[in-house]
Amino acid sequence: MAVSARKSEEPVSKGPAGARGAKSPDAIGKGTGLRAKGLTIGEGARWVVRDLDLEAKPGAVLMVLGERGSGKTALLETLAGIRREDRGTVSIGASFEASARTRRRDARFIPQQNDPTHLTVLARLNLARPPRRLGLTIHGGKARARAQSLAKRVGLEGLLDVPVEALRPLERRLLEIAAALDPAPGALLLDEPTSGLGPHEARHLLHILDAIAREDLIPVIFSSTWARDAYPDAYAVAILWRGQPAVTLPTAQVTESALVERWTGGTPWRAPTGQHAAGDALLKIEGIVLEGRGRETSLAGVGFEVKAGEVLAVVGAPADGLSLLHEMLLGQRAPGDGSIQFLGKEMAATDRRQRVEAGMSFVNPPHARDQSLADFTVEENLVFGQTRRGPFAKRGWLKFDSIRGNAVRSLMDFEVPDAKPRDRFARLSLGARQRIVIAREVLRNPVLLVARSPAQGLALEAQEYVRKTLVLQCERGSGLLWLTEDPEEALRVADRLAVLAAGRLVWLPVTETLTREAIIDEMSGTAA
Amino acid sequence: MIPGRIRSGWLPLAANLLAFLVLAVGTQFLARQSAPWDPSAWSTPWSGDVILVFATLLFLGMAFTMPFHAGVVNLAIYAQFLAGFAVAAAIARYSSLDPAGRAALALLAGAGAGALVGSLVLWLKWKFAVHEIVSGLLLGGALAPAALAAVQAPSTVPALAPLVVIHLPAPPVWIPGLGLGHHVALVGGILVLALGLLVALSFAHVLRASSAGFDLRIVGSNPLAAVAAGVNVDRVQLWMLVAGGACAGLAGALQLWTYPSVAMERWPLPLGFAGITIALYGMGSVRGVLAASLLFAIWLNAPGTLVPLGNPGWGSAVLALLVVPALWTLPRLLPDQGAPRALWRTRHRETY
Repeated sequence: MAVSARKSEEPVSKGPAGARGAKSPDAIGKGTGLRAKGLTIGEGARWVVRDLDLEAKPGAVLMVLGERGSGKTALLETLAGIRREDRGTVSIGASFEASARTRRRDARFIPQQNDPTHLTVLARLNLARPPRRLGLTIHGGKARARAQSLAKRVGLEGLLDVPVEALRPLERRLLEIAAALDPAPGALLLDEPTSGLGPHEARHLLHILDAIAREDLIPVIFSSTWARDAYPDAYAVAILWRGQPAVTLPTAQVTESALVERWTGGTPWRAPTGQHAAGDALLKIEGIVLEGRGRETSLAGVGFEVKAGEVLAVVGAPADGLSLLHEMLLGQRAPGDGSIQFLGKEMAATDRRQRVEAGMSFVNPPHARDQSLADFTVEENLVFGQTRRGPFAKRGWLKFDSIRGNAVRSLMDFEVPDAKPRDRFARLSLGARQRIVIAREVLRNPVLLVARSPAQGLALEAQEYVRKTLVLQCERGSGLLWLTEDPEEALRVADRLAVLAAGRLVWLPVTETLTREAIIDEMSGTAA
Repeated sequence: MIPGRIRSGWLPLAANLLAFLVLAVGTQFLARQSAPWDPSAWSTPWSGDVILVFATLLFLGMAFTMPFHAGVVNLAIYAQFLAGFAVAAAIARYSSLDPAGRAALALLAGAGAGALVGSLVLWLKWKFAVHEIVSGLLLGGALAPAALAAVQAPSTVPALAPLVVIHLPAPPVWIPGLGLGHHVALVGGILVLALGLLVALSFAHVLRASSAGFDLRIVGSNPLAAVAAGVNVDRVQLWMLVAGGACAGLAGALQLWTYPSVAMERWPLPLGFAGITIALYGMGSVRGVLAASLLFAIWLNAPGTLVPLGNPGWGSAVLALLVVPALWTLPRLLPDQGAPRALWRTRHRETY
């Protein structure tokens, strides 16, 4: 593949692959692919894309990098024929200066948001062209075979009977990609397919896109706000930057950091992670005063911030204010003074449900009774607290297909092999129960997770799994507030760490020299 | 509590079936000890029939089962039953409406009176912290004289046309000797039974398939989790007690059509408490309640059943069989939280 820009500051090299093993354009394909020449797109009174030249050869992946509002979506929509260009031409395959109608026929555009449907994966994959008998009834056997072959290309072949709304975001994206492959497209255009995905998920998706491009010898163009998405699968990156002339750089020639610098002109730029940029303050607690019961230590002016993408660990003894702090976060105790701001809104007077609806999520110790239903089934526990509206209920009635599909996927993803959706929850081991609780809370994709000793009393392997799963959620842009009595645990997970002693927080820098003993000294008040 | 599932294995269900078998076989055995086989004579004291008794027991069973799913032990069921009976009797006696209107009004008023007693019990709990079991039993005692006054003047109760029994020239051959005798309550009785079945099946469906039913089951199973999920536990319990009270009140009102009621006179316990027996024999599930109320209706109408019930000594044995399933059923059905279960299972804390 070769990509060039008329006003590019750096010509595209067709030289040998770079250090990361990027592909030579000549080695990829000889088809005509997708070309744009002098493409100009206006939106209102401004030009969002001006005089862009772009060429994507078959068999390779091109990334369009730009911040929000830089014209990425407009560019892809224009290439797909959904939006009309103001100037310039677009050619696709053998169609030179293809009309918008031709482009709509030959290219597949996959938008960023696809509304979850009530269909199963099987039905979704046959939605556009269901195989029919005599043009009347749908041929079930052929429909399944076709869906199976499409799903297999993106690794969803085991989920044909699962409702789409029960799929994870990554699986939904892969499903839309699979659906776009029939009939075979001349080009595949995806608008921010990695948004809302964790880095590992994004990498998995981009690997699949690369494989599709190679196997079908079609050009794939996707947009992203993450420079890292270009590596290692995209051959080149077209940069849109605040109305500046578009620049195209081959990934073989620039490292990721150089790419970011080139993109932003040296200005630090953080791509958003989900709804919140890394480092944004999610929870802000200030001057909390809360009287303890009996001999419990009161909270005396506690304050801290939890930011997106970080783990803040608070270590302390339960009677030293940790239980009080936890109950206050759960909404069971209202502070006597001070404020609890979540995403800028005061939450001190709200209850737990309101906090959950605002985007908080709670994982309590495995033996806690308020987070699971011992007499209910596994699948019912996986939708506990989410049955008032979609995807698990509609107009006040439960949707059993979605609930079952969610359980099948969750048990598979969170590695609870011995449990079945209809098993009674109380019959499972403590570790399996906690995995299910964590699966439920993580899959809500919360803005902030509050975990209180979530691995307490579990087997070592299960402890490790619980910690890893919760910390990985931070990769998706969530903040994680970890309340624990165990200094060892805090040391393992924390990005920042505070000790709650005598109702106050003592901050300790998380460095290699920080030891368990130092934390215990702070907890017991014997620190120097 | 999860409807339609046998909790804690099949053992309690087998025990319940065994208890019922002993009850049915035992009463027949005792009856034959006291008198020679004479089905027509044995069935004479009983003027109710299978349909109305089935409906009564079904409503009573639901009156206990509905609040039970919300974690409330409805021992006010007797008070609700008596309130329904007394109010329905007063309307039947004093209303100037035509018989059809009186029948409908009496049933509605009975259900309303029962619902009112249900809400009164919870109001006493919220306002004065009186436990629902205590207030329920006390209210039952207080309402008993009013109900007895209504029973003592049966001749003044006018016949209510839609539910009047139809006299057949001969007993139906398809259910010989079941006490149907020459009297079969048709139209009205069947309608009331159909209403009972509709209530039971609708409740089961809502409980199983709706978001509100899911919340209700959470309240009954784990109130702490319900609070955490934002469910208003008090409101759910109030609605269930009101619904259960309406069922018990309706069952009370139905007694007007079964007079002289074996239920009021011969059942070894106050009839209102029959709802507890039905619910416990039915394992707290709606399907179980349906089956248990049908079986008990047939048992009560079977020739000879009333003979041991009329004997004080044998009556006690029957009474024991009616309440004994509580020993193994109740601890399994009570919610995870709260004192009642702790009384039955001291190791409940280690269970979870």
